[in-house]
Amino acid sequence: MITAPLLEVGVLVLGMVILMFEAFATKIDKRILAFAAIAGLAIVLVATFFVAPVPSPNQATGFWNFYTVDRLSVFFKQFALLTTILVLIMMIDYAPAVRSSFPGAHDGLGEFFTVPIFTCAGLMYLVSAIDFIFIFVSLELVTISFYVLVSFTRKNPVTLEAGVKYLVLSALSTAFLVYGIAWIFGVTGQTNLQRITEALATPSTDQSATLLGMVLVLVALGFKIAAVPFQIWVPDVYQGAPTPVTAYLSVGSKAAGFVVLLRVLRPFATLPQMQRLLVLIALLTLIYGNLAALPQGNLKRLLAYSSIAHTGYLLIGVVCLDSNAVVFYLVAYLLMTHLSFAVLVIVAQQTGEQIADFDGLAKRSPFLAFAMLIGMVSLAGVPFTAGFLGKFFIFYAAILQRQIALVVIGVITVGCGFYYYLKVVRAMYWQPAAKIDNISVSTLSRIAIGALIAATIWLGVYPQPILDALKR
Amino acid sequence: MPPFLFWLFASLMLVFGAAVVLNRNPVASALSLVVSFLGLAALFMSLDAYFVGIIQVLVYAGAVMVLFLFIIMLLNLRAEEGRRINWLAATGGIVVALILVIQIFSVIGHFQAARQTFPSLERSTTDDVWNIGALLFSNYNLPFQIVGVLVLVATIGVVLLSKREPR
Repeated sequence: MITAPLLEVGVLVLGMVILMFEAFATKIDKRILAFAAIAGLAIVLVATFFVAPVPSPNQATGFWNFYTVDRLSVFFKQFALLTTILVLIMMIDYAPAVRSSFPGAHDGLGEFFTVPIFTCAGLMYLVSAIDFIFIFVSLELVTISFYVLVSFTRKNPVTLEAGVKYLVLSALSTAFLVYGIAWIFGVTGQTNLQRITEALATPSTDQSATLLGMVLVLVALGFKIAAVPFQIWVPDVYQGAPTPVTAYLSVGSKAAGFVVLLRVLRPFATLPQMQRLLVLIALLTLIYGNLAALPQGNLKRLLAYSSIAHTGYLLIGVVCLDSNAVVFYLVAYLLMTHLSFAVLVIVAQQTGEQIADFDGLAKRSPFLAFAMLIGMVSLAGVPFTAGFLGKFFIFYAAILQRQIALVVIGVITVGCGFYYYLKVVRAMYWQPAAKIDNISVSTLSRIAIGALIAATIWLGVYPQPILDALKR
Repeated sequence: MPPFLFWLFASLMLVFGAAVVLNRNPVASALSLVVSFLGLAALFMSLDAYFVGIIQVLVYAGAVMVLFLFIIMLLNLRAEEGRRINWLAATGGIVVALILVIQIFSVIGHFQAARQTFPSLERSTTDDVWNIGALLFSNYNLPFQIVGVLVLVATIGVVLLSKREPR
């Protein structure tokens, strides 16, 4: 048995060792570093299944004021590790594009493979954080490493624009977070979420001032999870960032944002104002994400809008405070989003990232076309895929809570989703190919994509393992 | 500290904070930011937070802003001076800021703790630096160490993104 904090220490040590190795071993093929990182993270992933049981929260002193080891956090540590491994596999396929933006002997690949490890450590800390100071610090670790990753291929003006937009807007959202924390601390005198809950229960605490602080925190978290009206950065940044980084942003950053949101909202959940505000944000996000996705011709941009739309469905789960439904949806979202991006990384290097570039993919590479098909139908929510059950649990929770408006708008927007996701499927299977070639897929990617396809279908038929993991 | 000093320093901060945004000349903006930081440092000191106040002057007003000025002077920023204000965007921004201010005032209006006078802090036997250091290395050790990792990642990023291309 090992204790949970060792997991993050392991990830951090792995990152530093690879960084040092990269600095001294200049002659090696840089992809070895990525394989080492994947292997190391896989070992930590296995270790997460042997984490010692939770220390009782009564003896909360020092370290345990900041850090918790509940079921949710261990589950999401595994989630963060799995995401990072998949992103690193995509990064190996993406390596030629990175190399071309760093001329000369130093190709920047070593850093490209190491920075995600530190992001992963940040994500793992973030899902364990139960104190606003620790939430802030680990959120900044995640965000600052994303600044680097988003603008990595700096020769490309679109990427630079994405990097600057992400930097400026993210800094603004951080300012809102700090201001909100300051209000909450000013009223309750506490930064620990548990103590804030206790302070809120006493009648002398000013409700409206804490609520103002909470709304400001909500602005910052809304930015991270890409909820309307804080979504303005999403399409440009997702389109401009290197594709593996886009996948990382849309899965890792969003999932951690939702975990923090669930934790932070718990003290405030009983206030009716908060409930109304969240319903409004969820409705706007659903409508905006799905309608804006309809006319898109660029697949990366389409996936950006679809990521906003999925935030809307996840927010329905948050409104109902059903963390199990949210977690299952996030797992399904991880599988299908990584599946789509993994295919996109490979195809985009051959032709491009427009939907038209996927014309006739079924003839060029039946395997990739099938993977994309599964990804798209799962994102749309066709039965027997993980995406369907995710939406099912969310809507079921909403019906139990009598959130009729959310269910009605949710179901209508799912219909919109079918249109734009199946547009990609139509291009792959019914359009003639502009160019006949065989796209080669590396063995590692083939294994990863195969596993993702299997997992998407398996969870769509038999979701019990995930539900058990959350209940145990 | 007498109340009029608070109002003096607070309005100094606000006026020069606005000047940072309104000035078209980047050098003037940067210098306004320095004055704004000095006002903030004075406010910290009025709250008996001497260490934070001095760090504010040394690090932000001193080191960081000097770097800013160097970079601004190295770059050729003539284009910035000729830029016009986008009145539509400016109006939108002012409206949003006004709504926020009204919201904050309405909350403060109901806020009981804002009206009562608190007893002054008891004199501590140890100095500020000692207190902050003790907190950083005891209770807040974990966030402090994560900040170390954060600085490492930021360093990697800066070196990487600002590297010159070989000729």
